[in-house]
Amino acid sequence: MSNSPHLAEGPIVSFRGVSKTYPNGTVALTDASFDIRRGSIHAICGENGAGKSTLMKILFGLESPSAGQVLIDGAAVDTATPDFAGKHGIGMVHQHFSLVPILTVTENIILGHEPRRSIFIDRSKARRQVVELTQRFDLAVDPDARTDTLSVAAQQKVEILKALSRDTRLLILDEPTAVLSPPEIEELFNRLRDLCAAGMTILFISHKLHEVRALAETVTVLRAGRVVGTTPLAEVDDTTITRMVMGRDVDVPRRQRQRTDAPVVLELDRVSTRSRDPADRIEDISLSIRADEIVGIAGVDGSGQRGLVGVLSGLMHPASGSVRLADADMSRAAAPDWRKAGLAYLPADRYARGGTAALSLADNAIAGTDGDKALQWGPFLRRGAIRKRVQQMIADYAVRAGGTGERLDSLSGGNAQKLIAARELAGSPKLLIADQPTRGVDVAAAALLHGRIDLAARDGAAVLLITADLDELLRLADRVLVLFNGKIVADLQNHAGLTPAALGPYMLGLETAA
Amino acid sequence: MTRSILAGLTEFALTALVIGLVILAVLVPLALSQPDPLEVLRLFVLGPFGTIRHMGNILEAATPTMMTGLAATIIFRAGMFNLGVEGSFFLGGLAAAATAVLLPLTGFVATPAAILVGALVGSLACIVPGYLRVRFGASEMVNSLVLNFAFLFAGVYVLNYVLRDPNAGALMSYKLPGDFTLDRLLQGTRLHTGVIIAFVACLLGGIWLYGTRSGLNVRIVGSSPGFASHLGLASSKLLMQAQIAGGLIAGMAGAIEVLGLYSRFSWTGLPGHGWTGITVAILARENPFLVIPAALFLAYLQVGGDMLARNLDVPSEIVGLVTAAIMLAVTAAAIFRHPAFLRLIRDIKGQEQGA
Amino acid sequence: MIEFFGAIADPAVFATVLRVMTPLLLAALGVLISDRAGVLNIGMEGIMLSGALIGVLVSAATANPFLGLFAALIGGGLLGALMAFFINGLGTQFIITGIALNMAALAATTLGLFLATGDKGMSGALKSGVLPNLDIPLLGGVPILGPLLSGHHMLTYLAILAVPAVAIMLARTPFGLHIRAVGSDPKAAAAAGISRNRVQLYTLTLSGVFGGAAGAYLSMGYVSWFAQNMTAGRGFIALAAEVMGMGTAWGTFAAAAVLGIAETVAITMQTKGLPSELMQMIPYIVPAVMLTVYAARRQAKARKIS
Repeated sequence: MSNSPHLAEGPIVSFRGVSKTYPNGTVALTDASFDIRRGSIHAICGENGAGKSTLMKILFGLESPSAGQVLIDGAAVDTATPDFAGKHGIGMVHQHFSLVPILTVTENIILGHEPRRSIFIDRSKARRQVVELTQRFDLAVDPDARTDTLSVAAQQKVEILKALSRDTRLLILDEPTAVLSPPEIEELFNRLRDLCAAGMTILFISHKLHEVRALAETVTVLRAGRVVGTTPLAEVDDTTITRMVMGRDVDVPRRQRQRTDAPVVLELDRVSTRSRDPADRIEDISLSIRADEIVGIAGVDGSGQRGLVGVLSGLMHPASGSVRLADADMSRAAAPDWRKAGLAYLPADRYARGGTAALSLADNAIAGTDGDKALQWGPFLRRGAIRKRVQQMIADYAVRAGGTGERLDSLSGGNAQKLIAARELAGSPKLLIADQPTRGVDVAAAALLHGRIDLAARDGAAVLLITADLDELLRLADRVLVLFNGKIVADLQNHAGLTPAALGPYMLGLETAA
Repeated sequence: MTRSILAGLTEFALTALVIGLVILAVLVPLALSQPDPLEVLRLFVLGPFGTIRHMGNILEAATPTMMTGLAATIIFRAGMFNLGVEGSFFLGGLAAAATAVLLPLTGFVATPAAILVGALVGSLACIVPGYLRVRFGASEMVNSLVLNFAFLFAGVYVLNYVLRDPNAGALMSYKLPGDFTLDRLLQGTRLHTGVIIAFVACLLGGIWLYGTRSGLNVRIVGSSPGFASHLGLASSKLLMQAQIAGGLIAGMAGAIEVLGLYSRFSWTGLPGHGWTGITVAILARENPFLVIPAALFLAYLQVGGDMLARNLDVPSEIVGLVTAAIMLAVTAAAIFRHPAFLRLIRDIKGQEQGA
Repeated sequence: MIEFFGAIADPAVFATVLRVMTPLLLAALGVLISDRAGVLNIGMEGIMLSGALIGVLVSAATANPFLGLFAALIGGGLLGALMAFFINGLGTQFIITGIALNMAALAATTLGLFLATGDKGMSGALKSGVLPNLDIPLLGGVPILGPLLSGHHMLTYLAILAVPAVAIMLARTPFGLHIRAVGSDPKAAAAAGISRNRVQLYTLTLSGVFGGAAGAYLSMGYVSWFAQNMTAGRGFIALAAEVMGMGTAWGTFAAAAVLGIAETVAITMQTKGLPSELMQMIPYIVPAVMLTVYAARRQAKARKIS
């Protein structure tokens, strides 16, 4: 309750042994306990999938914990109740804004709790409230502008104002800097410091360590669903935090490369793309991959990986720079040209890009093999030959399936992914893009897929492995490039000494070595 | 393999159960309002199988809807909600009649020529909204919905000013010459060779969709456009192929209906077989082979309704209600995507539960 | 051109335009309300048809046309709510739901007519009422304007008054704001605590009430009986008018007026023995052209950005 008596002492929020297991069996959070001090800026750090967003969903009342308690002002609360966040004065700035594009700034801010005069919205009062908010928090936006005409930074201000519009005393910001330019980030931080000085508690979720250090007093590090530690930032150095985020320095067995002098297959020369979406934006990227070489791309999600894949599959074209595959210029090549030139693509997104959920295993397994005389007689598909081929694939890749006529989405994620890999790797590709190839896949299937990617490289493919799974990266990659804000910030040979902790500073944007 | 057949049967059984319940829900109150409720049920359920003539009626009623169902199936499979099938059916019938009235063709080329013209002209009603979608991104659903009526009035204009027989009492065309008819199949029924064409079309449609490369590619584009673009498939071309194929089939259906059943062309409104075709396609789960039983089933309901109308004082429109309810019931996610049902199917298949 | 405006200013022609436009406008406003909340009401045709029959039957039974109108509004609203239940409650697709409703309504109204009169074609045997025309007291006496603006059907006035009412409802009330939010971005609306299902239930119900009014006008104003399938595609023209109106009440009004004029011209041509069919195509071709031009412009704009 915003008007409840403030307990001057004691944390505003306490997590006590909070766990969350989803109905499908995914364990997102295990026994998380920590306090958030009233009036502080508290950062939460962790890799993709560490459990940060689950924690926030619980605190914002979108989900309830499977075990444990959330205490607000020292009292246990049931979070998944209607309007929980509103009642307790919790506001959230989502990473993907929750603004309605066709509404004005004022309409977005008052949406859901409109001031009324008889049956109408009291528009002058609403506008007054918004102007007052913008002045009080020093966040200048035109209250009458249509939201979709605003810049991303201005939209974020609206999002913050919306979060502050209901007597908010705890403000959660989820990766708020991902879409901002450096001066905009600086301005945001100044505003957040002002808010904190005015008594607001701020919970700041970020991948970027230097931002965490610039802003927060205390940090809680999550890894694999567990709290690694909560510590004042003044008491720890970057190396320690990096180690907390990245985990223990356990070494993994590495891939043995056969030849290091094989010809260069893929060459990117100063390639940039233009896009409003940071995930599609790459800047001045140069890289080359030889046959029998696996180049790993590390980096937090949305650092430009999608743009890189777009350029390398013909779905986007570089705004500048050139792309060559096996000595052919591919800068303006379209998707079919890339496929013909020998591109194989193994994405995490199995049903939207790697295959089609509603069609059968056989259909999925032969998709894109147009003109294969063994499978086709004129325009007709040879059913017998296809069944044999697909059964062979199923056997080779140990796909557990009832029959070739099953729908792809009747398989588990790992088995569906194995079938897609079987198709993509069938024609000894020149270039393989493995884009988070084992995300959401069981351990056994991941091991098999790793083996096949290695094998494809040995057979002469140049492999680009994009992954957030550092274990996978270090097992497979011969060379590791770190992508940060669309740029390559590190180019490292993978050797026994390279550990996740060594990659951390680059991924968290602390260092550049390229 | 046997397990997946068993799982398929389970889904079929659930569909049959749902349809049965829907029919009962509509029919039982109606039957109770009549002096002899059991007679109503008996006539409706068993009546259509009573005589050869009635069974012929089922086939006759299923002929146009098999083809419009096939057309809708192909269009939907490409991921388009193009409702131009109704307009194509009308235009196809008109164009076939116009060919018969205007062109001095005789002998065995006459009928095929009229059907071909019907198919070509009829396909326009599917092609135009399809093209506007592919080229400009305009909603094919709204466009096809309104253009159906535009084509209707264009057709009525042609009927009124070109084909109209001034000596006939009402607005109808000149008599279609005898060479432009489809042969009777069975004495005592109105069953004509069109039914064979419809069966063959569904089989060929199924073979195309499931047995050829371009059919596979259309299904890929329709079910996962993002995957299709990564594969480098020519999506626009495939989408248009499906709209053209669907339009041709629906136009042909109209031509066959007119040449097979009527001596003059007299449609001044949309005949509705396109809408029924959409129901057929949905009931057949967009599978051309299943279009045949789905169309036969709806035709069986239609004949049952007609028998009620003829023998008791029950209007045959009751069938429209049953059909609409079936359409909703078989697409209700709450029934067929229900977690309990999905779990049952998975258990039958005996598959591992992985990540 | 001058001749054209002269003809429109002729009170008789003007009255015909209003007569033709009224059901389109009512139905199109209904389509607009639910479309703004994210559900295009394909079932409008069926709702109108049902409203037309309900109005006739109830007014015949009670000998009170106002009760007939009231029943038509309630019936239409219930059908709209039923659609919402199927779409959001049972998870059927909105297009299929609309098609099914149209199919069911055509069957059910024929059936209902038969049960009530023993005739499947027309309700001529029933003594059903007609809703009155309104003479506006002062206005009626004014020269030129008086005969032009006074003496039209009560639902015509109601339809025209509904235009600003809907416009204000969408722009100025919390409910209208919720409608626009849900229709534009249901996720963002949910984040602000607004339930899509609830808003769509209300808007489809309201859409049905408008459809019921449009139907009642057809059978208790335009003519004084019910005939099988008497809507004859007007629900689809209403859909087209809403699309032409670009999602605003005033735009929908303008589109309904244009289509009303086109149909009036078609009727006039018919009485003069000219090919009316080509004019009848206009209400269907214009929206298709506008929709396509609009989509093409949006596409060109999107291309420019990227």
